[in-house]
Amino acid sequence: MTDQTSTDNVIDTDTVDEPKRRAFLKTTGLTALGAYAGMSIPFGDNLIALAQGMSEEDIMGGKNGLILMNDRPLNAETPAHLLDDDVTPYEHFFVRNNGLVPDTALDMDAEGWILTIDGEVDTPLELTLADLKEKFEVVTKRLVIECGGNGRAYFNPGASGNQWTTGAVGCADWTGVRLSDVLNAAGIKDSAVYTAHYSKDPHLSGDPDKDTISRGVPIAKAMAEGGMIAWEMNGEPIPAVHGFPLRIINPGYPGSTSQKYLTRIWIRDQVHDGAKMTGYSYRLPAYPVAPGTEVPEEDMIIMTEMPVKSLITYPQSGTETPTGEATEVRGHAWAGSGDIAAVDVSIDFGQTWISATLEPAKNKFAWQRFRADVTLPEAGYYEVWARATDMNGVAQPPVVPGWNPRGYGNNMQHRIAMIAT
Amino acid sequence: MNMKQIFSCAALCAILAFGSTVLIAQEVYDPMRPNVNPLAPATANPNIDGPTAELDPELGNLPIGPGAENTYYQCIACHSTAIIRQQRLTDARWDYLWKWMVEDQGMFEPDDEEKDVILTYLKTHFSSER
Repeated sequence: MTDQTSTDNVIDTDTVDEPKRRAFLKTTGLTALGAYAGMSIPFGDNLIALAQGMSEEDIMGGKNGLILMNDRPLNAETPAHLLDDDVTPYEHFFVRNNGLVPDTALDMDAEGWILTIDGEVDTPLELTLADLKEKFEVVTKRLVIECGGNGRAYFNPGASGNQWTTGAVGCADWTGVRLSDVLNAAGIKDSAVYTAHYSKDPHLSGDPDKDTISRGVPIAKAMAEGGMIAWEMNGEPIPAVHGFPLRIINPGYPGSTSQKYLTRIWIRDQVHDGAKMTGYSYRLPAYPVAPGTEVPEEDMIIMTEMPVKSLITYPQSGTETPTGEATEVRGHAWAGSGDIAAVDVSIDFGQTWISATLEPAKNKFAWQRFRADVTLPEAGYYEVWARATDMNGVAQPPVVPGWNPRGYGNNMQHRIAMIAT
Repeated sequence: MNMKQIFSCAALCAILAFGSTVLIAQEVYDPMRPNVNPLAPATANPNIDGPTAELDPELGNLPIGPGAENTYYQCIACHSTAIIRQQRLTDARWDYLWKWMVEDQGMFEPDDEEKDVILTYLKTHFSSER
């Protein structure tokens, strides 16, 4: 996962004794990243010194226990047992970047940052961070962000993209303003159809004229409860890899609609056709297809609400437990449609189910804690399965649902191994 | 220990710390590992054990074979080999991805002969069909 070449590059950065450079770097990038993340970066001092030749892996210094899927762009997922917290801390929050992390984010420099709201609005707005904080009610919401491709690894034939298993999801406390408040201040015209998000992250090709990603949501979604423009994650400025200084959040929709490094929301009079809105990106076949089908592009429709899902976060898969004694199993459940109605767990491969207790959501689109005591009757191998049901009565399937060319929306039941001793 | 050695050690330690999470994940049995998932259709393990062919560390750990070097230099202009090494796709999807990278993502398009070498390599080593 880490090749020798990048190590060599890091070691060869031989400018560390130069006092000017050192002083400069101390005030930027990694120092700030570590401070904002509220935790120590292993070998932080050395990473600061190496910052100029910083690789994506170095940027990940404050992350702990994540599985690195890709280093350029930066993509890393979280093992299920590290998602046990009610609020996912920075160190365990997955990373899905489509382009490079902008220098302004690495430097934690928000100087002069402007958010533009324009297009089908009565009054186009140009807002500084200070404007956002002063002109609108500041709110903190606990919101799940999940990559649309979470679970892609289980599709067969394979689907292109990062092979996420279960860990491209997290639930943080986000502080900012309601997206609807800002859009209402601009005055949404009747002609408005879709939002179009723009950001500052450089395209992988290095072409400054190319958008790394520019997605959007239907106006009704943007105006609905839950949408935010956020500048804090878990009480600190949003860290570099998560979108410093500003990101939009559209909870319940694929994570790609929650664009990082946000500079502009263009209100459009048509469905947005920006980067990764078209073709096969974040789209599903309009009709059920057999695995491996080549679906014509014109038959691919935009993925909107994420499906109902749950994750067993305790105990870790493979844990031993005493035979005949109750053991707590717990995790989280969430759905793109909002609240969860029920979670059930099974210790016999889905033949019988046990109702879990379910805590209410802190707010809409927060994940909900479930707990169940399971007693394994005799020594041996068991699996614990979890199945969440949303308010519409829709539950998670035991198998990978509808194959699609890009492997989106896999909400199959999560399972862990438990060994009774 | 000079400065260079200290940094070299730190970099290695950091890499070991990252790497160890994968080792732990492999030690603990996990029914959600794609290749041991009894309910999912039999799947080529996408990224945990990696391809069986010998890997070339000089070429971002791409499997050794005809076209590896061409593929490496074509692809790393934009992204690392890590994303390539995760894929198990149909030939049709590789053809589509090539077109998408050229038309949408600004990839430099080499001549037809070079394109054929690279696509053949990708379809050989990162395939759901063979």
